[in-house]
Amino acid sequence: MKIPFKKKNTEKEALVKVLSKSNDYRHLHFTNEKTKVEFYLTFIASLTDEKIIHKEALPYLLHGELYHLDDVPELIPIAETEISTNAKDIENKLFNGNVLVQVVGNEEQLCFFSAQREVGRNIGIPEVEFSVIGPKEAFVESMKQNLNLVRKKIPVKELIIEELTIGKVSKTKVAIIYLEEITNQENVNTVRQRLQDIDIDGITDSSFIVQIISDNQNSPFPQILDTERPDRVTAGIIEGKVAIIVDGSPHALIGPTTLVELFSSFEDYFLNWIVSSFFRLIRLFAVTFSILVTPIYVATLSYHYELIPRDLLSALVASRRAIPFPPILEALFLELTIELLREAGARLPTKVGQTIGIVGGIVIGTASVEAGLTSNVLLIIIALAALASFTTPVYRMGNTIRLLRFPFLLFAELWGLVGIVLSFCIMLTHLIRLTSLGRPYLEPLYPPRGQDMKDALVRLSFKNQAKRPVFLRSKQPARLNERDAKQKQDIDE
Amino acid sequence: MKLVHKIIILTSIAFLLNGCVKKEILDDINLIEAIGFDYAGEGMTSGTILYPIYQPDQPPENKTLTAKALIKKSILQDIQLQSANPIVTGSMEAVLFAKELASKDGVLELIDAFQRDPGVGSGLYLAVVDGEARELMEGNYGVRGNATFISNLLENNIDNEDLPKTNLQKFLFSYYQEGQTPFMPQLKKISDEKIELNGICFFKHGKVVETINPDQMFFFRLLVDKYSNGLHRVQTKDGEAAIRSIRSTHNFDLSQHSPLEITVKIKVQGIVNEYTGNEVRPDQIKLLEKAFTEEIKEQSTKLVEIFKEKQIDPVGFGHFVKTRTRNYDLSKWLESDLQNLTVKVVPHVMITEAGVIE
Repeated sequence: MKIPFKKKNTEKEALVKVLSKSNDYRHLHFTNEKTKVEFYLTFIASLTDEKIIHKEALPYLLHGELYHLDDVPELIPIAETEISTNAKDIENKLFNGNVLVQVVGNEEQLCFFSAQREVGRNIGIPEVEFSVIGPKEAFVESMKQNLNLVRKKIPVKELIIEELTIGKVSKTKVAIIYLEEITNQENVNTVRQRLQDIDIDGITDSSFIVQIISDNQNSPFPQILDTERPDRVTAGIIEGKVAIIVDGSPHALIGPTTLVELFSSFEDYFLNWIVSSFFRLIRLFAVTFSILVTPIYVATLSYHYELIPRDLLSALVASRRAIPFPPILEALFLELTIELLREAGARLPTKVGQTIGIVGGIVIGTASVEAGLTSNVLLIIIALAALASFTTPVYRMGNTIRLLRFPFLLFAELWGLVGIVLSFCIMLTHLIRLTSLGRPYLEPLYPPRGQDMKDALVRLSFKNQAKRPVFLRSKQPARLNERDAKQKQDIDE
Repeated sequence: MKLVHKIIILTSIAFLLNGCVKKEILDDINLIEAIGFDYAGEGMTSGTILYPIYQPDQPPENKTLTAKALIKKSILQDIQLQSANPIVTGSMEAVLFAKELASKDGVLELIDAFQRDPGVGSGLYLAVVDGEARELMEGNYGVRGNATFISNLLENNIDNEDLPKTNLQKFLFSYYQEGQTPFMPQLKKISDEKIELNGICFFKHGKVVETINPDQMFFFRLLVDKYSNGLHRVQTKDGEAAIRSIRSTHNFDLSQHSPLEITVKIKVQGIVNEYTGNEVRPDQIKLLEKAFTEEIKEQSTKLVEIFKEKQIDPVGFGHFVKTRTRNYDLSKWLESDLQNLTVKVVPHVMITEAGVIE
């Protein structure tokens, strides 16, 4: 293979030397039919679309009036062209899917045109955050498409998309998206600075970034919301939050976020406020139930038999009569079974796997009751707790809930109800100290912000949502004119 | 301190302090549901505990254990000698005292133990047994076990019938309250499967001194409970009617200071449940109301006479007088002042409904 750069440029030569080891490196020689000007095309075959080169570049370069390199941008019908003399651009441009044109005799001057190959799946329906009502598009791996999805929904000039490259090896493109007139600059600066400070070799998904830029990396609670729904991201940006989109990841990140937001599903905004408030309360109840019910079972059965209602006593004792284990072992056995099934279900190829896992759990549970290993009361409790934990709309939060049960269970076994209270206190202390991009995580519960309660445990109607959340410290706190929103226009007026 | 150190210290504290809490696993303890005390002669008391053995798909089996002791508090320890699992009192429903024991030795020493046990709730029912407590507990009543049966029996009669509100807390309140004496319901075993509530026992200094029959319970309840209900039969010249009191209130008024006179205004709203005569016409209702009013007046005055005679005050007239009189001395209430007290009962009966047939 010929060496394309005859000038003694060691950097170029080294580059070419390394590149020529790869099989997809192309360096081709052509001659223009009219002007007999000789030129080279250099590109990486796996990153470029050969159709573009063949149909939209080569015919013009071969048959057009090419005298000089400066003619190239005018000849070819491709918008993204660039002429440069900087040899350092070569590596970067080639790996972004550009084709390098050099005219023989003037190799110093370089012309690039873009012939990037678009590979990726089409926009599909959201699978993790599916909703019955509302938009059915989800982010894909391509950042270009993801940005398109967001930009389309906010077609204003104030929407700023900043781009960074993170990762020494992976060179992942990361975009910070915010609204200039609305988002507090401090939040944007925090995100930008944290992203710039990331020192890592490779980032393959947005989850890496979540973990790296979280305020407290030792916390089991997710401190940045990740979502696959463009509508959720859009709503977040409009509210005054900062979104991060990572190339190659179908999940966008939104921050700062709060604990209550992690229990809200975006479908809440599609339903009537009364219905969605009810669902939110049910979800909160389900989470509390899921965390506390097994520990309370263990605590009352081991320490506080006085608390058991008279009518329940006979059912409880009768079901535990033949069980050889103390309540804690019984509970751990079933909890672990459920966890095993979930984990196995997650590894199974389709979503069907999960359903099979749950059915399997019930079968195993019934068998263990019949074998006298666990009581059927506990089986019901654990199955309900598992079911309740599935109601968390954010997957990351669901995992946290799964984990939280075990310390509670341990403390319930050690100290009974006192232990449960203690572990609750520890959890609360942790939550109060937690921040998301420097903003309080437990807001509006603590610090109490009555105004933000409109969209926390319940979601009030849109006319009550006239203000942006206080904790975001938005530049424009008002979303709409509150008085006009509350006033209903009479049709005759 | 590093986080890791904190976690290690916290975990070790958690495990070290584990021994400080007493563990009582539900299926490894004997839950006493009721306890009964009998007179065993020569100052001895015999105690019987009732504990259920729960079985799936079956009513619980009632088991009893009995022991005798001189010191009353050691009865539980003596019973423990016969039991395979530790005996715990936390889910106790009822405490029963044989009438013989309650009249001769008194119940205070026995109740004292329950009053101090933090595991025992104040809603515990206390009752006197007409006969032997042990015998009553060895029967087989209802599908939910004996203790539940007894407590449901009392609860039902308090909620819907003539029994005034009574439990451990009420008993202790009226015992410690100056100018008031306590009372307990009285139970009787009729057969192996039946118990009957057959009266109320009145205590003086922890001993039973007087018992009234179920017919008088209705009037006693009107006097003692601010709100009460119950059913009573009223006789007129046209026939007999069963009147259910759906709502009644009483009001005490200290109408005169010396000599002391208390006016008790009792308002009863009732419906005619049953009538042996023909139709109930407005004039008949008037008659019924009048007959009922007179009966309430007569019976209540009779009850007060009984209290005076036995020197007891379960209604708490003394306490009432004290709340209306500055520096009132209650030390001689039962012996002298109660005897001079005049209680005027002014009932007012309203029959609001007499059925659909008019």
